[in-house]
Amino acid sequence: MADANILKTENLTIRFGGLTAVENLNVDVNKGEIVAIIGPNGAGKTTAFNMITGVYRPTEGDVLFEGNKINGKRPDQIAHLGIARTFQNIRLFKELTVLENVLIANHLRVKSNIISSVIRMPGARREEKQMLENSLELLKEVGLAELKDEKAQNLPYGLQRRLEIARALATKPTLLLLDEPAAGMNPKETEELSEFITEIREKFDISILLIEHHMQLVMDISDRIYVLEYGKTIAKGIPEDVQSDPKVIKAYLGEEDEG
Amino acid sequence: MKKSKLNNILSAISLVILVVLIVGIQQFGLFGINTYVIGVIKLCCIYAICALSMNIVNGLTGMFSLGQPGFMALGAYTTGLLTVSAQDKIEIYKIKPIVGWLANLNAPFFIALIAGGIVAAFAAFLIGFPVLRLKGDYLAIASLGFSEIIRIFIQNGQSVTNGTTGLIRIPGHVNLYVAFGALALVVIFMVLLINSTYGRAFKAIREDEIAAEAMGINLFKHKMFSFIISGFIAGIGGGLLASHLGAISPDVFKFTLAYEILLMVVLGGQGSISGSIVGAFIVRAALEWLRIVDNPIKLGPINYPGISGMRMVVFSVVLMFIILFWSRGIFGSEEFSFDRIFRFFKSKKSAREGKVNG
Repeated sequence: MADANILKTENLTIRFGGLTAVENLNVDVNKGEIVAIIGPNGAGKTTAFNMITGVYRPTEGDVLFEGNKINGKRPDQIAHLGIARTFQNIRLFKELTVLENVLIANHLRVKSNIISSVIRMPGARREEKQMLENSLELLKEVGLAELKDEKAQNLPYGLQRRLEIARALATKPTLLLLDEPAAGMNPKETEELSEFITEIREKFDISILLIEHHMQLVMDISDRIYVLEYGKTIAKGIPEDVQSDPKVIKAYLGEEDEG
Repeated sequence: MKKSKLNNILSAISLVILVVLIVGIQQFGLFGINTYVIGVIKLCCIYAICALSMNIVNGLTGMFSLGQPGFMALGAYTTGLLTVSAQDKIEIYKIKPIVGWLANLNAPFFIALIAGGIVAAFAAFLIGFPVLRLKGDYLAIASLGFSEIIRIFIQNGQSVTNGTTGLIRIPGHVNLYVAFGALALVVIFMVLLINSTYGRAFKAIREDEIAAEAMGINLFKHKMFSFIISGFIAGIGGGLLASHLGAISPDVFKFTLAYEILLMVVLGGQGSISGSIVGAFIVRAALEWLRIVDNPIKLGPINYPGISGMRMVVFSVVLMFIILFWSRGIFGSEEFSFDRIFRFFKSKKSAREGKVNG
């Protein structure tokens, strides 16, 4: 494929009973892009994420990742292919340490079987050492190295978000899905997050698809934006265009003459 | 947290003392401990192994399985059938003679024990396919059901298992060395497992299944690993139990056994190795010690007639209190260490001093 189309959804649709949560979603993410999906609550953004990552099976349409159909695969298989995600309401392994959280994300590359891993065969030991080095390196890069032995649940909120992103990066993805990374953050934390996201795109050479409510963040970092309302795509394009689109303004602020 | 040097020294000393005690009691009858008490200690070790096996699934992987009695039964019967002598087998099987190929099948105790573990592990593998797709309470019910099915099969497999009469004259190979040795091996195995990448994956599943799956962990595969390992160790525990008791029948492996083991795990703290061991020793020892309330007691003018089964009442009340005040068990999901004890006393002391100063 000459055109580096990392992710492409084709007429992605899902119905829960009579409710069509997402209808004919056509999103594509090119290599190295940051693409945002925005829209009011209940627009179907997280549902779209869940279809891409295999949590839900789409009723109609396909998800293509690097040109291959991936709908119908399990979440862990999709993670193996190179899609990593974070969650709207942080899902860290709370009782485990920061380092363990990142180490677990390395598990998907483990080659040695359970027995050689338990009895510490040389191969397994090498792998373990490699995992540890990778994890410590990653924690250093995201600025969490000093907190490596802290339990994940003891981190302040902003750092928990950061750890969740770090954990996703540890699976070595080519595409990172961020589900409302700025939710619940104060302005300073949000600003740091913007920098962090653009920084990891460069450093890890990944593409990013994100869902976000925080307009400033979205407008600052996104290359392109899709706007969803009631499961339908009502606008798409570069931030400047979307911002001035009357349909988007209506969806977010209501009719002009109502006010 | 890094363990202090003092902690390591004290741990080493305690381990040496334990070994000396075991050798002393077994070899020289130290402290005049009678065979009854030794029997209880051995039983404690065997139950500790079974509690640890349940802890792998329930504490480490965060599932809720009650299949232990079934796996123990398979281990116990396999070990029993392989160690009872051919002559005894003919004499024991009164209602229906034993099937030909089993009659002369014998193996040394340790091989029989391992065979018991393997049979139980294989059963866990087969049962795993349907039940591991379930979660929470449903898994508990399904695994308990399968455990009962195994028991019923054993009860009705007259020409193989001797039905309700069960097996007798199982040679007793379990002395204190074997009991503690087996427990030590299981503990070492579990420590290695927990600190391996697979152990971390188990813990990830316990903490958050959805996140674990999103990180590329195949839930079914890892739950199956955990279930099979648990089955294997429970089978070994069952084999030891068979050899220790010398006689087994299907009644030994009723579903109440699952609750008893669950109790040990919860009391000690789910996910804690030392917790399971301490839990098993406390529960077994308390059940024995509380026999005094079953018997008549004369306390001056008060004449307590002794009600049989009273110990279960007292025991249950005590347990309720423990669970009320220590809902995460004695150790939580932490391990025993001397550092912890020091910290505990330090916090008590500083709390007291704080009160005085304030």
